[in-house]
Amino acid sequence: MSLNKSNNWSIALVMLLSIALCIGIGLSVGSSGLESLQNAWHDEVAWQIIWDIRLPRTLGALAAGALLGLAGALAQGLFRNPLADPYLLGSASGATLGVALALAFFGGNQLATEVLVRVGLTGAAFVGALLAVVLTLVLAKGVQHTMRLLLAGVIVGVVMGAMASLISLMRPDILQNMQGFLLGSTAFIGWSACIVMACFLIPCLCFAWFFGFAMDALSLGESTAVSLGVPLRAMRMVIVLLVALATGTAVAQTGLIAFVGLAAPHLVRSIASVKSGSLALLSALMGGLLLLLADILARSLIAPQELPVGVLTAVLGGGYLLWLMYRNQNQGALG
Amino acid sequence: MSETSIAIQSSNILVSLNGQEVLHGIDLQIRAGLWTSIVGPNGSGKSTLLKALAGLLEFHGEVLVFDAPLNSFKAKVRAQQISWLGQNEVTSDDLNVWDVVMLGRLPYQDWMAVPSSQDIQAVETALQATQSWDWRQRRLGQLSAGEKQRVLLARAIAVQAPLTLMDEPLTNLDPPHQVNWLEQVRCLTSQGKTVVSVLHEVGMALHADDMVVIQAGRIVHQGACSEPTTHRAIEAVFDNRIAIQSIHSHWIAVPNLLRSR
Amino acid sequence: MHKTLENFIAHLSGILCLSFAFWFSSTSYATETTKPPQRIVSLLPSLTETVCALGACNRLVGVDRYSNWPESIAHLPRMGGGIDPNIESIVALKPDLVLMAGSARGVERLRALGLTVLTLEPKNYADVQNALGVVAKVIGVSSKESDRVWRDMNAQVEEISKSMPQQVNAQRVYFEVSPVPFGASESSFIGETLQRLGAKNILPAAMGVFPQVSPEFVVRARPDIIMVGDSNLADMQARPGWMNLQAMRTGRVCTFKPNESDILVRPGPRMVEAARLMSKCLIDKSAPKVKPNP
Repeated sequence: MSLNKSNNWSIALVMLLSIALCIGIGLSVGSSGLESLQNAWHDEVAWQIIWDIRLPRTLGALAAGALLGLAGALAQGLFRNPLADPYLLGSASGATLGVALALAFFGGNQLATEVLVRVGLTGAAFVGALLAVVLTLVLAKGVQHTMRLLLAGVIVGVVMGAMASLISLMRPDILQNMQGFLLGSTAFIGWSACIVMACFLIPCLCFAWFFGFAMDALSLGESTAVSLGVPLRAMRMVIVLLVALATGTAVAQTGLIAFVGLAAPHLVRSIASVKSGSLALLSALMGGLLLLLADILARSLIAPQELPVGVLTAVLGGGYLLWLMYRNQNQGALG
Repeated sequence: MSETSIAIQSSNILVSLNGQEVLHGIDLQIRAGLWTSIVGPNGSGKSTLLKALAGLLEFHGEVLVFDAPLNSFKAKVRAQQISWLGQNEVTSDDLNVWDVVMLGRLPYQDWMAVPSSQDIQAVETALQATQSWDWRQRRLGQLSAGEKQRVLLARAIAVQAPLTLMDEPLTNLDPPHQVNWLEQVRCLTSQGKTVVSVLHEVGMALHADDMVVIQAGRIVHQGACSEPTTHRAIEAVFDNRIAIQSIHSHWIAVPNLLRSR
Repeated sequence: MHKTLENFIAHLSGILCLSFAFWFSSTSYATETTKPPQRIVSLLPSLTETVCALGACNRLVGVDRYSNWPESIAHLPRMGGGIDPNIESIVALKPDLVLMAGSARGVERLRALGLTVLTLEPKNYADVQNALGVVAKVIGVSSKESDRVWRDMNAQVEEISKSMPQQVNAQRVYFEVSPVPFGASESSFIGETLQRLGAKNILPAAMGVFPQVSPEFVVRARPDIIMVGDSNLADMQARPGWMNLQAMRTGRVCTFKPNESDILVRPGPRMVEAARLMSKCLIDKSAPKVKPNP
């Protein structure tokens, strides 16, 4: 028992060190390269680049990745399905619809558009994501049957996506705005976005850690979990709520970044076997690291231009998983 | 036989699954401190009955556990009173053996789930009892089916509940471990605990103290395993394809090949 | 109980988000600065061209990747596009004015970083005139000058339209802006140019400025002339029923090379060139009106 625990701690430590290293790298790469860092002491603009642009962007990528990784681990625990991702409950489409509605209704006045739309889009995306999950819960008549929940989530996702498409058809002028907002990107994260994400990340992490035992019990089977006195219904509600909050927050700030939520828990499981509580925490770290790396590569590979960060998360995460599969195949072990 | 107290008393249990009635008014009494076996043909409703008695299913009727209605138990109290071993529904391979068995102590732990010395003791005892102590650090995914079953059994034992309900606990167990399981049950009853099992291996079931014979959702017979009426009931329920006979003072079920169709 | 809790949290967080964003972002809408901006970044090609038309080309320090006119801006660093402006590059240039489309991403971010951002997205002639005036005011060019530029443009377009032959009248045109398809309606600047040249637009103003049209609508409307960029032509030909269009069969399709397409779709000073291109097309392809097939 002690061996496992110290193993987990050392893994967490290694990840934290890597993150610290990446933050350092993140401060040094960008369109103006290392010289911004060097000039930061005496050049006001260079300082602004480091402090106001690179640092919040780097920390924001970390926070968003952590939120997505955590949500992914929770979703996979909730549905007891390794292919689950945080968008399964319909939150992605809900955010899309929220953004579409906000744009459609606020497009009139130029000033209203500028102020409300920019600030309100974040809130609209967040509220949309949450409402989609609530709708999923209503459709599934509660959290009792995960299959029904899954199905309801897929339905809500598809229907809301269709409604968002309909709105953008009726008002094609919002299309560019919508696409711009929803395209996964870490490029526009400022300090306010960072702080909002951190405000949601910390309680979500705490909850996931404390309720890990419920997910462990659940992994032994529903009847076993109930027989052990686990308040399954309440636990599932809490987990769904956590997934909705974490996903909604991340999507509202960075748009739709795929794959981080799905890959992070798998990446963690490939290097350690952990209980659900630890898995959630380590998945958050892993997700943060993944998105952080992707963000750094996005800005440095073809600097001064940028690659879309979603492409890099897929390449990094997917590449590693492919390599794992290949290695397992060769070793003949089960994955 | 001296008057033993009743661990479970059920009256008129009705259970419907998917709109169809599966149990049609079950009245039974499970005596405390003894091992009761439930047998019957496939689809007779054995597992359903056990789940109802454990409070894991919705049912009409009344179940009294140690003279208190089952519905009146708070979840944690019920969890401490009744230990359940269901059929294998494990989905995660990541937990290690120790953590799995420790989950059996959840009914005694608060939300922070920090194991007390009592919990650790209970887990150790359970692991020793199922000969799983040596590989307690291994992950579930690395175990064979039989080893997994023993670990799940240890988990059920770790609860240390006065009443243990087990559904097909011998799945995947080879003969030596089946015998170990028998010894475990005897150990539990000697401590005054009650065990109820659903077994489709009639030969093993005959080692119990009491037998409940069920067919098509109705109780056909309740009685001691040594009684001839019980044996006739079992034979009848299985279409007389088996014969209950005694060898070395043990009751066994022998296939009845001599009966012509 | 759980649902109430959820809703409460949703509201609370929405409020938190909004308040944080307001708190931390500093919006500056200063349209009047003490000294006219000397370092201008433009992230919209039509605005780039507008700045140059007002004679302030030398004050541009950065443009978006799509700006390609005039030649003098070719050496300027590219700051990305509308959807993906490179925040860091823009800030590193220390601009005192950033011009971009209102629908572009990053407007709030740039403002939060303390930059002066002016958003304009002209859709029709009135917008273009307005944009000229606003940009002139902001960069310190006299309104006399911007008026002059506008009058100039207008006059040249008038000249072109006066020289249009009779046969162009009542030619019904379909102008495709991008494959999907998106077309230019009467209310767009493209539509207005066509109108001044005497042609009609099959897409009425009621459909919006650049509506997404159903291919079936275009087939039913039976345009006399089709205008499209040559890269989209193959796409167009593949649409079911389109090869049978009168305009397609009689070859009354004007295709435009990429640099010509650029001129046509930018609501800026080069609308005159656009008018010229369109007039050439109309004269080329218009013919005595043929009775539509029953």
